[in-house]
Amino acid sequence: MPNLSALAGLRVLDLTDLRGATAGRLLADMGADVIKVEPPGGDATRRLGPFVGDRPHPDRSLPFWFYNLNKRAVTLDYQHARGAELLMRLMESADAVIESFEPGHLEQLGLEWERMHERNPALILCSIAPFGQTGPWREFEADDTVLAALSGMLYVNGYPNEPPVPPLGLQAYHCAGYYGAIAIMCALLAREGGGHGEWIDLSMQEAAACGVEHVAPGYFGMNQIARRRGTLHWAGGFRLGRCRDGWLMHSTSGDWTTLLEWVKGDGAAQDLTEPQWSDPAYRRANAAHLFDVLDQWAKDQSREEIAQRAQTLRLPYAIPRSINDLPRDEQLTARGYFVEVEHPELGRKFLYPGAPYLFSATPWRLYRRPPLLGEHNHEILGAELGISDQELTVLHAEGVC
Amino acid sequence: MPLPLEGVRVLDFTWVVAGPAATRVLADQGAEVIKVERKTTEFVIGTRRAGLMADLNRNKYSIAINMAVPAGVELAHRLVRMSDIVMDNFSARVMRQWGMDYASLVQIKPDIICISMSGFGHSGPRTNYVSYGPTLQALSGFTLQMADEQGRPAGFGYSYADMAGGYSGALAASIALWHRRRTGQGQFIDISQFEALVSVIGPSLLDLTVNQREQPPPRWHPQEVPAAPHGVYRCRPQGDDGDRWIVISVRSHSDWRRFVAAMGSPQWASDPAFRTLFVRMRNRAALDRHITQWTQELDAWEAMRMLQKAGIAAAVVSNAEDLCARDPQLKEREFWPVVELPGGEKTRMSGVPFRLSGVAAPIRRCAPQTDQDRDWVLEKVLGLTASEREALLKAGAIYLD
Repeated sequence: MPNLSALAGLRVLDLTDLRGATAGRLLADMGADVIKVEPPGGDATRRLGPFVGDRPHPDRSLPFWFYNLNKRAVTLDYQHARGAELLMRLMESADAVIESFEPGHLEQLGLEWERMHERNPALILCSIAPFGQTGPWREFEADDTVLAALSGMLYVNGYPNEPPVPPLGLQAYHCAGYYGAIAIMCALLAREGGGHGEWIDLSMQEAAACGVEHVAPGYFGMNQIARRRGTLHWAGGFRLGRCRDGWLMHSTSGDWTTLLEWVKGDGAAQDLTEPQWSDPAYRRANAAHLFDVLDQWAKDQSREEIAQRAQTLRLPYAIPRSINDLPRDEQLTARGYFVEVEHPELGRKFLYPGAPYLFSATPWRLYRRPPLLGEHNHEILGAELGISDQELTVLHAEGVC
Repeated sequence: MPLPLEGVRVLDFTWVVAGPAATRVLADQGAEVIKVERKTTEFVIGTRRAGLMADLNRNKYSIAINMAVPAGVELAHRLVRMSDIVMDNFSARVMRQWGMDYASLVQIKPDIICISMSGFGHSGPRTNYVSYGPTLQALSGFTLQMADEQGRPAGFGYSYADMAGGYSGALAASIALWHRRRTGQGQFIDISQFEALVSVIGPSLLDLTVNQREQPPPRWHPQEVPAAPHGVYRCRPQGDDGDRWIVISVRSHSDWRRFVAAMGSPQWASDPAFRTLFVRMRNRAALDRHITQWTQELDAWEAMRMLQKAGIAAAVVSNAEDLCARDPQLKEREFWPVVELPGGEKTRMSGVPFRLSGVAAPIRRCAPQTDQDRDWVLEKVLGLTASEREALLKAGAIYLD
């Protein structure tokens, strides 16, 4: 009975920019009708490169595509009273609204939570802001880099005495997007059985802090300050080393005796045969030396051979791959991870990254390619809100949509 | 006000980090999460009372069951009949060997939701590979792509993969619960942590598949709105800690003017080589040298306050102490809740990054020791009599203290 949609029948208005777009995308992928409401000039993400074929155009931005697959889109200037009223009418039919404005901005537009709640008591409002809706920093400026810095994500990547290295991908935004989607699902579940909608206050800084496992627990629980140690994992069980044919991720997190016997068999164990190394705490405290010995052992060998043999011994070794190789990755290919998305207006199909999870009854699905600017104005404002073509023409001329 | 997931019972076979990070989200929102564990303690850093394991397992219950004997599996099946969700993060074969896979469990609880968070999913050539966060980060490209200024791989010093697996697992669970509430239908969810991680790389993967462009490391490559200066700059030592940094993002022309004024309008800033964003990006090396000369005389916190006051996105690169003890925003929002340990000692841990109607879900209970809640589970959840418990003990399904 596949092809059911878990979130069919739910309507979400997505007023966010790049910072909050992930939450709506995750819900749209599972079947919610997510309507991206953009200002008439388009969401700023549409101006962000890279673009298809490097030709800048609001309908060719790849960041916009990535974050808005499966959504519909209308343009609406809700700074304008008429636009705000139309947005209110859309809200009457919605289950959730997601926004990522500066705190207080909706209020300035006359779209404050109390008013929304009065018009549609079942409505859930998810406010995604860099620092949340309260506190001394609520109006501070932030981008993903700032949030990575203030969540502890940044400080712990890189080498001692060298500048910290930023994450690949907008991970503070992604954490906020996933937690935003989780929060909306929780509010929906809480609403069942006659409850009303709630206002969700989500701090991106806090969400990103939940994306780092060891910094706060190390501080509160063990009085430790986590530092940068290159590719040596904080828990001491992994480090990158060089083989004759490139990098290899070494691991001491599998069975110690198995690894030791192997290295010993190659006559390369050096002092690791001494009894103190059988103590995991000792290995962790002296991880740098341990990995130096493993590097010596592996440096003239083939990493492919070591990685293969390690897996047969259940040792979690891996060869670090370039992201440029992912479209050809055998595991992703075997599971059909990349999906083909047709863009009829460009006469082409493109490969998109696909589902983060496989649901047996209500699978992740491709519903529609990312929306063109204002693509669903007629469908949503006309057919669904009942505005006549004539009136739409006037609204368009007045810059309302 | 009841918590959103009150009344939901999760039978939690997960261990290490990714799985417990997922069930932590569910437990925090009110689900009754029962950890089913081996009696022998897993090797971890810290204890259930302090550090990562304390943080990941708060709000949960624990029973040790010997799954190697038929009576242990039978006991687990009885618990499945009383549960809504069964979660694990073993490699694919483990639950099958125990008769705890979805195909078996759906026979005894037709609407059960089974979520398996294995490293690579239940199909494909790598389905039985052993993996941890760093393995997955190596294979998905994060480790190499996050190169430092010298081009050395500097990918995550921690297991972001586990945290990404965690939020993906929690979202999957809440979506599946919603579907079941509306239709009565359970299902099996196959999460490959590898795919969950690849799914948060972001638009650069699309640039690769659409434009066939090899991706440069994020260090030199803006991932959102182009900015210059944009990056990490060294600050004045704080006491004997020389490892102090600030991030700065200067995007628009008005940002640049305010930034220059905040620096005290130094002579170099009027050089035509820095007049527009375009030339600042091109002359980035020279620009960064000037800015470092300025920041290295400043205290990181002072610099952040000064620049934020001028409306510039800037932030201290927080270390554990900044994050957990100094950050006034997280303090004001009480993001690090106090948890009382048995014996009355108090500690803090990470909070929940979203609040419903202004209220953060409280930490109701500190993490259980393995098997701590055995009697409660057997008596209160299953309603077993003393003689039935005796029989389980005799059959080797459960343990004495």
